[in-house]
Amino acid sequence: MSWVNAVVQGILLGGLYALFACGLSLMFGVMKVVNLAHGDFAVLAAYLALVIVSGFEVPILWSVLLVAPLFGLVGYVVQRFIIQRSLDVSPLTTLLVTFGLSIVIQNALLEAASANSESLQSGILASGSFQVAGLHVGYLSVLIFVTATAVIVGLQLFLSRTSLGRQLRAASDDQETASSVGVNVRHVFGVAAGIAFGTVALAGVAFGMYSSFDPAAGPQRLIFAFEAVVIGGMGSLWGTLLGGIVLGLAQVLGSQIDPGFGVLAGHIVFLAVLAFRPSGLIPQVAQAAQ
Amino acid sequence: MTEAPLLELDGVSKRFGSIVVADSLSLSLGRADAVGIVGPNGAGKTSLFSLISGDLRPNAGDVRLDGRSITRLDPASRCRLGIARTYQVPRSFEHMTVFENVLVAVHRGAGLRGREAFGLAAQVLDETGLADTANERAGRLGLQQRKRLELARALGARPRLVLLDEVAAGLTDPEVEGLVQIVAGVRARGVAVVWVEHVVRALFGVVERLICLAAGKMIGDGEPRAVLASDAVRDVFLGTDYGEVAPG
Repeated sequence: MSWVNAVVQGILLGGLYALFACGLSLMFGVMKVVNLAHGDFAVLAAYLALVIVSGFEVPILWSVLLVAPLFGLVGYVVQRFIIQRSLDVSPLTTLLVTFGLSIVIQNALLEAASANSESLQSGILASGSFQVAGLHVGYLSVLIFVTATAVIVGLQLFLSRTSLGRQLRAASDDQETASSVGVNVRHVFGVAAGIAFGTVALAGVAFGMYSSFDPAAGPQRLIFAFEAVVIGGMGSLWGTLLGGIVLGLAQVLGSQIDPGFGVLAGHIVFLAVLAFRPSGLIPQVAQAAQ
Repeated sequence: MTEAPLLELDGVSKRFGSIVVADSLSLSLGRADAVGIVGPNGAGKTSLFSLISGDLRPNAGDVRLDGRSITRLDPASRCRLGIARTYQVPRSFEHMTVFENVLVAVHRGAGLRGREAFGLAAQVLDETGLADTANERAGRLGLQQRKRLELARALGARPRLVLLDEVAAGLTDPEVEGLVQIVAGVRARGVAVVWVEHVVRALFGVVERLICLAAGKMIGDGEPRAVLASDAVRDVFLGTDYGEVAPG
């Protein structure tokens, strides 16, 4: 029974990783930008939610309504005024710039908060659970999993069915041609980053409810997002969902074998995918969003 | 007061280091004009297109549309004002369907929405003979279809001026013939056409004015046969078969 339980918990944990990774996947898929500050922005979102919750005494889920749109705006501005400028120089420059952002955010958080770890208290949501077929399933992990799936389905529909989504894909395929048919490439890249940052905010708050965080927690989390993206296949959103689930499963099943083996098991699966199927479980073609 | 010409180039120059691709070029183009451009490799034909479409900014000179300077505008803005181009080496949105390729141009370039947009995209695909491949991924098309998609994407933006960069190159004779029909149809709708082509006989089916470029300079401009027959142009093409392919 405990193995069945581990599988369920692993899949649900995968939802959190997928939610966290889809912003990274979108930024890479559309702009070929690897955002090294991705994890730090998620931590920043959690701190922001903490300030809102304690300052206005509103429930945690309400804070998301403020943090996610705010992050959308931040994403647009960061893309247009920081990342785009480095993208114009060379793709490698974006690595340096986002790495710089990562360090700035960490130190700013250390200055503004402290090195102590914090967590977002969500009351019944975090501790409550229901029983299905003898398994205890937490409300929070189900909520996060459903959110992750909804976000990824929504993103896919956005990319394949809307005018702006098509402009994004066009700009991703060939910026110059997109520009030649009237697409404002810088604007649509800003929008893509805004959406990605919105999902980062969701994931940051989700992570904050799931476990504690401190100013330096970003890079450690970034690794999980990377692994989910690479396991699934670079630039494919369905792949990212699958990659998150595979990573979550590996970690939970690993810790079932030995409590200390969980995270390592995830890394091993990641390495195995890199070695035997470097283009990921669902290769890039899926991005074509039929 | 006379109406300003559709497009004007006024002393436009562009150089990359010591290589001059446009040497103080001036030309004027009326509405619904059809102009062919010929010249040896490296004459600056594609660069001229890039200067008009905004992919390149000139070092000196002015580009005007309807008498208004567009020299500082980016390609997207110029497209929305009515200039569309094709690329010599087809550059489609590989991961999108043929229909979507055109639809992006219709949404942004022509500024249409919803049903109207779908209508224009379908009409353009019909006109260019791509209706059967509408749902195929652009990355899977063969050369002829890619060339046609270049044209279809440009037409999707509903341009007033379309710049065709060797859309007939590499095609068989019947394929070229089909393409000439399509371009002639576009032109008949009142769209100005500027067409760079090595396949000169394709040009003769459409254009009534021919410009010859060499080393970034204009060395001939006028009635096509007269231009090809002029000494300056003959000198440039000495040893090539341009003269022979021009129908007598």
